[in-house]
Amino acid sequence: MSTLIAIRLRNAVVLLVLATMLCFALVVSAPGNVAVLIAELRTPKATFEQIRVVEEELGLNQPLILRYGSWLNGALHGNLGVSYKTGDAIGPALASRLPITLTLVVGGAAFAMLLSFALGFLGALWPGRFGDALSRVIALLGASMPSFFVGALLIYALAVELGLFPTFGTAGLSSWVLPWMTIGLLPAAVLSRVVRVGLEEAMARPFALTASAKGLSRRAILFRHALPNIAPTYINALGAQGGAMVVGAVVVEPLFALKGVADLFLQGVLFRDFMVVQACLLVFLTSFILLNLMVDIGMMFTDPKLRRQGANA
Amino acid sequence: MKTTRRTILKGMAGLPAMFAGLSPLAALAQQGGGDTLRVAAGKPAGDLDPHKYKGLWAIQDLIFEPLIRYGHGGKMEPALATDWQVEDGGKLFRVHLRKGVTFQDGTPWDAAAMTWNLDRWIGKESNSWMNASRLFANYKVVDDHTVEIHFKELVLGLLNEFAYVRPVRFLSPKSVGADGAYAKPVGTGAWIEASADNNGSTFTRFDGYWGDKPGFKRIEVKVLPESRSRMAALRAGEIDLTGGDFLAPIKATEAKTLEKAGIPVAVELGTTTVVIGFNPDRNTALKELAVRQAINIGFDRKAIGQVLYQGLAEPAGNLFPASVPLAGTRFPVPARDPAAAKKLLEDAGWKGAPIREKDGKPLKLEIVVSEEQIAGSRSLAEILQAQLGEIGIGLTIRSVDHASRHSDIPARTFDMALFTTFGAPYEPFGTIVGLLLSTYDNGVDGKLVIDPAKLDPLVLAATSAPQDKVDAAVQAIYDQMHADVSMLPLFYSPAIWAHTKRVKGFTVPATEYDLPYRGISLES
Repeated sequence: MSTLIAIRLRNAVVLLVLATMLCFALVVSAPGNVAVLIAELRTPKATFEQIRVVEEELGLNQPLILRYGSWLNGALHGNLGVSYKTGDAIGPALASRLPITLTLVVGGAAFAMLLSFALGFLGALWPGRFGDALSRVIALLGASMPSFFVGALLIYALAVELGLFPTFGTAGLSSWVLPWMTIGLLPAAVLSRVVRVGLEEAMARPFALTASAKGLSRRAILFRHALPNIAPTYINALGAQGGAMVVGAVVVEPLFALKGVADLFLQGVLFRDFMVVQACLLVFLTSFILLNLMVDIGMMFTDPKLRRQGANA
Repeated sequence: MKTTRRTILKGMAGLPAMFAGLSPLAALAQQGGGDTLRVAAGKPAGDLDPHKYKGLWAIQDLIFEPLIRYGHGGKMEPALATDWQVEDGGKLFRVHLRKGVTFQDGTPWDAAAMTWNLDRWIGKESNSWMNASRLFANYKVVDDHTVEIHFKELVLGLLNEFAYVRPVRFLSPKSVGADGAYAKPVGTGAWIEASADNNGSTFTRFDGYWGDKPGFKRIEVKVLPESRSRMAALRAGEIDLTGGDFLAPIKATEAKTLEKAGIPVAVELGTTTVVIGFNPDRNTALKELAVRQAINIGFDRKAIGQVLYQGLAEPAGNLFPASVPLAGTRFPVPARDPAAAKKLLEDAGWKGAPIREKDGKPLKLEIVVSEEQIAGSRSLAEILQAQLGEIGIGLTIRSVDHASRHSDIPARTFDMALFTTFGAPYEPFGTIVGLLLSTYDNGVDGKLVIDPAKLDPLVLAATSAPQDKVDAAVQAIYDQMHADVSMLPLFYSPAIWAHTKRVKGFTVPATEYDLPYRGISLES
């Protein structure tokens, strides 16, 4: 299995380099010039000469390949550069913001798992009944509503009208409940269908019939025999949804005034702060790759066929 | 222990259970602010060095004070100066400093402190956009509380410039490092910065403040980048005050929603105007007066004000609202008249439908808008597009972000674009020189009108006119632009603030650069 992981890691590094190159090309080809904005910070009526000086200072007039190479070299040596806008080192800024984004995504994933299992089992335990229909409706609504809308609804209902939670911030655990629900609802909707459909398929297989013939209750068969069978599919889907949640953080963090990596990324995009954008993308891409790696390993543990393939690799 | 799929499943089940167990479903929302005014800002305060251009103006205003404060209607009020004289044809500025004032660190406010601050900005290249800096000659300390500043020429808007937030406000000479570099924000203002990070800043009351002491002990500025979050926080009572163009803009629709929810909203005529600028050099159709006149009466300012701005934005006929000094004779707001607009175009030879043509060239224009510059400008452009379409003008909308606009406007890659005047305390000459004088390098803000033949002489005449002739000279500029329809005033932006009911005695500040804490008391 270690060989398989090594191959995955090697591919991940190649993917990272290609992805950062693509991101760099996209960022520099976007309209707007960061030198104009920086010159504005130095003097409110920046002249074209002052803008040219900024371009020279930051090396913005160098060929793109040199600029990318310089950034890549710094990143390889652990130096992610300094923000064009603030002049602060990006590494410490990322380090201080990463726990916020991690708390958001991990908490959201936990909420998604809790809700998806609850809805999935509600349908599977009483197929065709009211609970099944309810879980379908909730899943449909959850999958149809964008995060910013869900967040606004939750804030209005639970924070503004009922006063149960704060509308923003990270002061205490209660501050996290609404962000977790906002970022976790869509994945929960998708995952609940994975659970429901997976359990239904498992229950139609011969082992379930055998267990039933032996006198086991539907509940016992679902939990003891059917559930382990859906694990690989569920983990795979959870990995995909985890990636979606990292992207969703770009919407959720500003909504709840969370100063995480996604918030920093947005600021970087608005200011054409290439160094910040690249550093944030590096974090996002690394998290995607790690997530996929964890999913692969998780699937190997839960799927005997894959485990055997891994052992032979 | 052997890891099996059952172990993994148990772990996965345990994780959400842990979070569920920790999530308090009881009311744990934040309590009332007590003796603290909680203000929402759209971004962190940033570097507050008053001699740089990086921090949030309203936060700098809490800490640092000017010699002269810009009051409502352009009234100049004494602050760190008790009295002043402008002599020698506007080339000498004598300032009498307030006695008994200290900085927050105990350093006395005197001529030495004032000149130490002047040395940090006046006459430097980065500040040459200010007349007082560009034309600075020297200063002389007359005594501990009197300083004379000499200029090479008459300084236009001298008193206004000394009322700006930066770079003219005063930092304690002891608040720098050994190398003289800025270290921390210490001024003479009523508020001392206690902490600051990405989430916000806190300030405690300076009990040694020379002026009226604030009626509460603390200010917390919370950073809420999303407008919707600020509105929700205000309604939930988690913040007390928000608003202001530069601190945390409130859209007209949001103001109306807040009002309906019982939140007090203060709306006043602001000091800025939203204006459409033309670029005839890029689209020659705009060189024709008839085309500009047709556009001017081709859309409905009042309807835009009512529908898009909920009646809070007053339709404009002038470059400046009446709240600005030397705003000039009031012109009527152009009324929409599609029939007259069509006739103007017909008479000028623009014929055909749906898009008119002349000499085989269609009457198509492009307007550049940026939501970051003016909230709602995309919708505004869509209304223009529909209404101008009715008179046979094809309008394409290019919606760009802040960075792109700052490249496009000075490069003049637009046919039509939205501009805003600078607002108090920069008016009227900030806009007149910056946006109208073609020879003045206005940097990234670009030019509203470029007309070296007709407009430049009038602007130069106004900027050098003696005091008793300034009114007439400025009016000549307004008359010329009005006759030539060289730009289209759309509406005067309202100053919008909202606060909770526990905030008493709120008044809208004189400029968008102030944080309005003065006169406020808090109900507990």
